Amino acid sequence: MKDLFASLYNKVLSFFHQAENKDKESAKDVACNRLKLVLMQDRTNLSPAIMERMRNELIDLLSKYLELDRELLDLNLAQEDDQMALMLSIPVIRAKDEKEIEEILKAEDEKNEINNEESDEESESDSDENEENENSEDDESDDEEALEDEDTEDDEESEESENDSEEK
Amino acid sequence: MTGRVIVITSGKGGVGKTTTSANIGTALAKAGNKVVLIDTDIGLRNLDLLLGLENRIVYTIVDVVEERCKLRQALVKDKKNPNLSLLAAAQTRDKTSVNADQLKDICEQLKKKYDFILVDCPAGIEQGFQNAVAGASEAIVVTTPEMSAVRDADRIIGLLEAREEIESYKLLLNRVRPNLIESNDMMSVEDVVEILSAELIGVIPEDTGIITSTNKGEPIVNDDNALAGQAYRNVAKRIMGEDVPFLDLRQPKGIVDKIKNLFTKLKGKV
Repeated sequence: MKDLFASLYNKVLSFFHQAENKDKESAKDVACNRLKLVLMQDRTNLSPAIMERMRNELIDLLSKYLELDRELLDLNLAQEDDQMALMLSIPVIRAKDEKEIEEILKAEDEKNEINNEESDEESESDSDENEENENSEDDESDDEEALEDEDTEDDEESEESENDSEEK
Repeated sequence: MTGRVIVITSGKGGVGKTTTSANIGTALAKAGNKVVLIDTDIGLRNLDLLLGLENRIVYTIVDVVEERCKLRQALVKDKKNPNLSLLAAAQTRDKTSVNADQLKDICEQLKKKYDFILVDCPAGIEQGFQNAVAGASEAIVVTTPEMSAVRDADRIIGLLEAREEIESYKLLLNRVRPNLIESNDMMSVEDVVEILSAELIGVIPEDTGIITSTNKGEPIVNDDNALAGQAYRNVAKRIMGEDVPFLDLRQPKGIVDKIKNLFTKLKGKV
């Protein structure tokens, strides 16, 4: 009977102790995390508005090849020792298949051609690239490469999110 | 002889630049070095008070610059330690009374006769800071484990790094409260060092003795029993090149000690 009470008492005590510790840990951790973020902005002179723009441009670029979860894409500058790092965590829903990518690139090239009518040379080189893409579609070996690329992309993504969680 | 010119700076006010200057200066002088303390906080001078020299000041740094007196005439010797001198700031003028070149020139002259020239920098990053840093080749950045102080220290470190004449800078963490760190309510020494990625030269515990020592005009390094005094003496040793381990600031945890702490706290409140 005594033992039962003792263990119960200990459990209750440890429960409160844990709760207390969790609360207290946050005060210091919150300070550290807030400071790290604000110092990153101070050091780089990149305002939140510019970071947001960079984030959106990156999403637009990557969306050509991958279907992304726009809301969850996380972009942060972080300091690791003396090196600054851009931490990018990208939740990929799925990689787009070749046809989709083709279409997007084609549409984009057409858009560019309209925009860059003045600079003829650029639009020419763009259409060259487009031809190359069409050629590669015929090669089976290239298809395999593309698949491999998808794999590595996924790997990178998981690595990056790992880094991210470590930081947090 | 070529003395070392060390500027003591922080960005944020009230983190203990002047207290640090007075204590490190006194400790270096006690160890046998010839030391000059320069107060560059023109208009808001306080270093004279901390050293208990406020009644002895005849000439100030502005008088030197405006050639109303010779440099050596303006140096006030410490009461106890003839190795320590103070070049006081003018109280009735402002930061524009002295410029960077003039301060540099003063430091160059003092270098020839003294081992250490410690420049107590005003708060802020404006003219006063620029002047104070001008003659120095080393810097001690004073900060506390508070967000605002650390942020300002980071800014100061950025400005120091941009200056070629500053060969090295070290971090001095002041007002550390070990019991708050232990309960995770305050950033730890390691946290601050990691965030600022700077080399540490000292950790000074919060000590009520600082208040009484300021009131008496007697730096706490002269008190052999005070922990903060010990910490400052260690900083002075590190400046002189000795490898001194950092103090363990954690408070003893026995029941007797706890009761003792309770009584000292009560005593502090009464």
